[in-house]
Amino acid sequence: MNGSMDHDALLDLVAVYALGALGASEHRLVTAHLLTCAECRSEFDALRPAADAVGMVAEEPVDSARSARMKERLMANVTRDLERDTVVPLDRRRSRSFLTWTSTAVAGVAAVIALFLAGSNQNLRSDLAARTNDNATLRKQLASDVRARQTERTMIADLVAADAKHFPVSGGEVIERATRLYLSMKTLPALPRGKVYQAWTLARGAKAVDPSKTFITTRDGAVVVALPESAANLAAVAVSVEPEGGSKVPTSTPTFVRPLR
Amino acid sequence: MDDGEKLMERLRARDASAFEALYDRYHRLVFGIALRMLAEPTMAEDLTQAIFIKLWTKPESFASGNFGAWLSRVTRNRALDVLRSRASHAEDEFPNDLPADGSLDDVVFAKLDSQRVRAALAALPEDQRAPIELGFFGGITHEEIARTMAIPLGTIKTRIRSGLRRLRDELATSVSR
Repeated sequence: MNGSMDHDALLDLVAVYALGALGASEHRLVTAHLLTCAECRSEFDALRPAADAVGMVAEEPVDSARSARMKERLMANVTRDLERDTVVPLDRRRSRSFLTWTSTAVAGVAAVIALFLAGSNQNLRSDLAARTNDNATLRKQLASDVRARQTERTMIADLVAADAKHFPVSGGEVIERATRLYLSMKTLPALPRGKVYQAWTLARGAKAVDPSKTFITTRDGAVVVALPESAANLAAVAVSVEPEGGSKVPTSTPTFVRPLR
Repeated sequence: MDDGEKLMERLRARDASAFEALYDRYHRLVFGIALRMLAEPTMAEDLTQAIFIKLWTKPESFASGNFGAWLSRVTRNRALDVLRSRASHAEDEFPNDLPADGSLDDVVFAKLDSQRVRAALAALPEDQRAPIELGFFGGITHEEIARTMAIPLGTIKTRIRSGLRRLRDELATSVSR
């Protein structure tokens, strides 16, 4: 691979490769090297399963509403898929109909053909309806994905923009750019079971806060949340711990309250 | 053969109840990794859906070994794709890497669960555990890890190697107890 690199250093690189933390160019080099070096290959085989297992520490409870929602959507997909599997192909139906036709009287032919055509048409119509449905679902999903990606791109641009305003708060910061508002939290405390964080906004001149998004964080207390409200008319943002599903008015002492001007 | 492997066998025969059982058993792992890496519950949910749909439509993509560990890797790689699409990266392509042989570890790794891995990882010295976790979940290269931790690159590589070797030994010991 690299004549100047001693083999022990190369074995270190193989460990980083097993973890999946090499840059693309070194990754390509190590991939090629492993095909010809038995010692490095053996080291990779020894370390890769341990590296793969690291992800298992992230397993943690998912809130029941989210878990059920995901399952419902997935099982609907699976059911639709299986229903498609059970539709008998048109060719096979024709073949069976032909055998029937040869063993019936001439007078019955018209009826058999009519029934066959009606059945085929019905099946074709069902197939077509199912596929039209699928297409509509896929189109909706694609449009939603495109919107999500656009939102994400805007968010990334806003978070790193030089003209973004940063308001430090306990556990992170509130970031404002143009009329958009984000909570960029790094170390929010862990939530008790059945609780979520909820953002609140205070409009200028208002005496009470309005409910905004609910959110949870990673195990480390990190999360970035794009708030749906326009920052233009807001005087402050706050966050509190609330029951799952959120509250209409804060029910706990706010984690922070941050004036925006 | 672990539970995941058995369920994946049934999935190849288009068994919807196996898919449901697989979801019940593993969605916390997939969602947990996705959330830890993406830090956004909605995106983690989307990724979880995508991973499970892929399991249903392409069950043959899992060959053998510890299903949970394999699923961790698949989820991590998909989350990395999302992270890379967020940032303009000088090297935005990660070629597929080689599959590990892993045959010697089948017995050990078939018995792994998140509790054992958590305990084994916690047993590592902090200076080995931190770069390993950053490398797996942070979606950054060893050079970026070295910069983040303000530690020389050579030291980071050695610590990752020593840490993974020790983790492997800890896991083997934990399973054999």
